[in-house]
Amino acid sequence: MSEPVIRIQDLRYRYRGQKENALDGINLEMNKGEFMVIMGPSEAGKSTLAATINGLIPHFHIGKLKGDVVVLGRNTRDKTVAQMAEVVGMVFQDFEAQLFSTNVELEVAFGPENFGVDREEMRRRINENLQYVGLEAFRRRAPSTLSGGQKQKLAIASVLALKPTILVMDEPTTDLDPISKMGVFEITHRLCKRDDLTLMIIEHETEEALFADRLALIKDGKLVKVGDAREILRDVDLMSDMGLMPLGIPRFFKSMGGKALPLTPEEGVIAFKQAGWNIPQKAYTDMVANENAALDRMNQPIIQCTDLVYEYDKNVKALDGVSMEIFEGEMIAIVGQNGSGKTTLAKHFNGLLLPTSGEVFVHGVPTRDQGVFKLGQKVGYVFQNPDHQIFSETVFDEVAFSPRLRKLTEEEVKRSVSEALEAVGLAGYEKEDPFSLTKSGRQRVAVASILAAKPEVLILDEPTTGLDYAQQRGLMDMVRQLNQNGSTIIFVTHHMWVVAEYAKRVFVMKDGKVILNGSTREVFSHDQELRNAYLRPPHFVEFSNMLGKTFLNPQEMENCIKGEQLT
Amino acid sequence: MNAEIYLDNNSNLHRLDPRTKIITFLLTFIAILLFENPIWMLPITALILLQLIVSNSFRNLGRIRYILMVLTISSLVLWNIFAKGVTPFFWFLTEESFMFSIARTLLMILMISAGMILISTTRNEELVLGMIRLGMPYRVGFAISTALRLVPTIASTAMTISQAQRSRGLDLDSGNLIERVRKFLPLLVPVFISTIRNTNIFGMALESKGFGALEKRTYFLDLKMRSMDYAVIAFAFIFVGASVAMYFMGYGRIPGLTRF
Repeated sequence: MSEPVIRIQDLRYRYRGQKENALDGINLEMNKGEFMVIMGPSEAGKSTLAATINGLIPHFHIGKLKGDVVVLGRNTRDKTVAQMAEVVGMVFQDFEAQLFSTNVELEVAFGPENFGVDREEMRRRINENLQYVGLEAFRRRAPSTLSGGQKQKLAIASVLALKPTILVMDEPTTDLDPISKMGVFEITHRLCKRDDLTLMIIEHETEEALFADRLALIKDGKLVKVGDAREILRDVDLMSDMGLMPLGIPRFFKSMGGKALPLTPEEGVIAFKQAGWNIPQKAYTDMVANENAALDRMNQPIIQCTDLVYEYDKNVKALDGVSMEIFEGEMIAIVGQNGSGKTTLAKHFNGLLLPTSGEVFVHGVPTRDQGVFKLGQKVGYVFQNPDHQIFSETVFDEVAFSPRLRKLTEEEVKRSVSEALEAVGLAGYEKEDPFSLTKSGRQRVAVASILAAKPEVLILDEPTTGLDYAQQRGLMDMVRQLNQNGSTIIFVTHHMWVVAEYAKRVFVMKDGKVILNGSTREVFSHDQELRNAYLRPPHFVEFSNMLGKTFLNPQEMENCIKGEQLT
Repeated sequence: MNAEIYLDNNSNLHRLDPRTKIITFLLTFIAILLFENPIWMLPITALILLQLIVSNSFRNLGRIRYILMVLTISSLVLWNIFAKGVTPFFWFLTEESFMFSIARTLLMILMISAGMILISTTRNEELVLGMIRLGMPYRVGFAISTALRLVPTIASTAMTISQAQRSRGLDLDSGNLIERVRKFLPLLVPVFISTIRNTNIFGMALESKGFGALEKRTYFLDLKMRSMDYAVIAFAFIFVGASVAMYFMGYGRIPGLTRF
């Protein structure tokens, strides 16, 4: 057995000004060529752990470090981050902030330049790495003109140009759309086959952890479990307890009383047939009929688009003839890859954007006759990043911003603020500083600050991005509650499982057009069309499609097989 | 939305060595600052116009047209108040102060244009490398280029933030001056916070790529002075030299002008 590449011994770390240890006694070793995925809920210490590998902790973040991190015989305590950069490459979640050059080639050259690599060798490394990530056609482009996925690929190439022995990626795909995610995953799958590279990836997507050699679960700064990835993923109860998304397929088989739990859709189909279960046709048809009847009952249009066209620049159509109707009380998901026009479409609903041609009606009145200020009272819009709107010193003031602008009396302001905070589960937080809350807390403040204006329609742009599974569930459960209390909900998202579990109707966008729309079940049954729009249904839905029926979650399928009706 | 300042036009001006452009830029400032009389500023104005045309960088000036307009108007007003002449023109203006106000306005616009031409035709990295080759320490050069790089990022964040706050009912176009200034608070706080957050990640990424690992780093870009560069620099020196000579011979002033 050769010396491990990374040896972490009894590592404890506390950020300056914090009372709790962010890392609390971590022991971990990684061998050459290994691929390890680290998972854990928000604030578990995953990013902190990643930052210790290349010395960002203790050199960049100030705090108290105990224990040792030894990488290839170098103790991070004695080396600067820049010195560690030669052996440890680091890719961050935020693909905007980690690129700093004005063209792709120079971005890749930046690292080698710092290490005094000569020009010929640099050119060789640029060519090699741009080719590796598939960006050689973009070498003269400015990074800011690339898509999110391309930016992240560039970040990977620029780090690989340093020829690191270890590559650490901190949630490299969290902010990406499904197709870009796939592109980055494709690269990591190739990287993990290289035996000269040790790979550590922090990941939210459980389905991707399947590719890892080992999986480490971390919570409250402690390692909960380290071991064979597939074995840990089978332990669906442990995953749920950790606040992580359990895989749908083993969850289903476990709940059905299966012994050997399959993990992937292909394995699932085989196991399903071996078990000799079958899905009664009548139960399935009844379920679908009930669902469609419920959709048909909603027939009061609240938002209508007719031949909507929107051009950012001349001749570039972000929206190209969209006609749609959204009815009162619906819960709608709009999906599609970045640049497909989904956010542009949503911004038309509250008048932030006005159509180049065609018309958008809210309550039968064209948006161009109403204006953002007036429409804001009917159609609320929660932006993706709560930090783009929070500015007040207290949660109360933040939520009261909109009602105050609308000249309500202080009495009415108080009432709508407390109602809004109640709805998002933040009652009692009025005096807190919104900036001190966690990301999911800030997301809730943002939703509350929109709810306080009492809109009939609530639009949420990527509400679950950057939250962990438990927080995503919590937020979407709250949104569903709002919907059941009468709000019409429209959300734009990349998370297909959120669509499967929460949306009633789905619009799939591609190149500025709606290419697919219908009940969530119907849309997910069009496997091929979804793939054409570069969307991938969750594993469980894919598995049920392979069996010839579309189920959105394990519970539905189980009920159907056991002959119980969902109400 | 493209918020980049650099224009990838590959004009003759783009192809000049950044050192040439930096030297010319500095010399241009001298030429602009010399004369009080706008007529004497016409040659340098013509040269800058020529550069704008050759490099096709009017677009960037167009982007800041509102700022330019505000500056023009306030400068015309202020210099007529703060400078006085002897020949009455109309109302309270004198011919001398009027001419001078035009010269000062021109000075400002020309300086902005010269700067805009420099950053529209020179990549960040080239600019930094040019400055380093002219003797500036690498870290200082990098700091300047980072500041320039942040401008488009901040601009696009500010766009998003303004949309988010407008969705919440913020109306920037109404109210008196004090009210309007107060209304910028909901925009400024998030801009600052996200910029600080981004800068933090930026710093981490920078160190993680080995920034400052060695005393002496190498550069992928290769700067080469060509005959065109020498010609441009020679012309710039002759032009500015001649201008300075004219200045000391007493040309280009406005007789009878008093400045406060």
